[in-house]
Amino acid sequence: MQDILDVITSRKSIRRYKPDPVPDEMLDKVLEAARWAPTGENYQPWRFVVVRDQETRNKIGNLARVGSGSRMTAWYCLGHMQERFAGIQDPEKRAKVLRFMYSGEVSEFAKQSPVVIAVIGTLMEGSVDVPYDLSAAIENMLLMAHAQGLGGCWVHGPVATTRDAKKFKEILGIPTGMGQYKVIAYVSIGWAAEARKYPRPKKNLEDLVYWEKFGQTQRPRHG
Amino acid sequence: MDSNVLLNQMLYRMEEVFWHELSDCAPWKTEYVGIDFIQSQDIKGATEDEVIRSCIDRIKAVGLAQEVDFSITGNDILLKLQVRDCQLMLKETLLRKGGIKPYSCPLANMIRDQLIEKLGYETTYLADMAADEKTGCCDLKVAIYATPEKIGAVSDWSKA
Repeated sequence: MQDILDVITSRKSIRRYKPDPVPDEMLDKVLEAARWAPTGENYQPWRFVVVRDQETRNKIGNLARVGSGSRMTAWYCLGHMQERFAGIQDPEKRAKVLRFMYSGEVSEFAKQSPVVIAVIGTLMEGSVDVPYDLSAAIENMLLMAHAQGLGGCWVHGPVATTRDAKKFKEILGIPTGMGQYKVIAYVSIGWAAEARKYPRPKKNLEDLVYWEKFGQTQRPRHG
Repeated sequence: MDSNVLLNQMLYRMEEVFWHELSDCAPWKTEYVGIDFIQSQDIKGATEDEVIRSCIDRIKAVGLAQEVDFSITGNDILLKLQVRDCQLMLKETLLRKGGIKPYSCPLANMIRDQLIEKLGYETTYLADMAADEKTGCCDLKVAIYATPEKIGAVSDWSKA
């Protein structure tokens, strides 16, 4: 059995995909993994809309491009994006990356991803943990996809604003009432057409973990 | 108790918990706050200038703010608003005292909504909000995109 930590640490967000289809049995495993995510009081509020249709994925891709692009254009105009990417030394490369971001192209990849899975949660069954349960399901999906050699990405952009979330629901025929279903993200799944730098830089555990009390960085002896 | 103080205190608590739950995403989720009023006002206009002026007239008429000035610049995607003596300044003051930068403006939401509803704008985004309780002024930068092609029309807004 593969060490689960290897699966977790080697996973990366994939935003470029080959056009090859994802077999049903692999997709079913991704969905099955989602079904087994932790869920408060076993409410299982998640629902999934699996999309392979190109026209629908184009609409989602366009919505994502406008959503991300509208925010990143403003952030660029305010100087925030330049600060964020100041670490890229080559000015031409930095400008190219920034254009990719503020144009919204960065979020358009639903068009190329063979499968898009909208992750939504019912708000009508009493669960008090809907966003958290859905997030746990998404993580399971990404890990299962990766464990099978597929790539995936968790995408919040096209549903980040209330108005865009409504548009997203309309594309997929999800009831749009604010008291009905919450759409938290979509997950793209497919065969990776990119090899991202591995491992991505991560903060050290020492910078993240406190012992017994917040702020206490000294690990106490025990036993 | 002054009903406006009560309203501000309630909005403050709502926005405080929203921020706590959603952090920087909170402004994106609150863009509908205020739109019911403006949608009931039969705003008319064929241009952005006319629609925005009509919204401001209604906002002033009901006493939400004493004065609202605006200009459109930055490749036509930057709507600058300056609101003076806003009835909601107290909630911004309370938020700031609680360590949260004010992030939601119902008045801006009203104008954004009508640009979309009346002129078919593609999308809008409240990019910056600087409320100053000492001067009674609030300066807002709103990104307004008439068409998808306006996404990416970048410029330096510090010079706009």
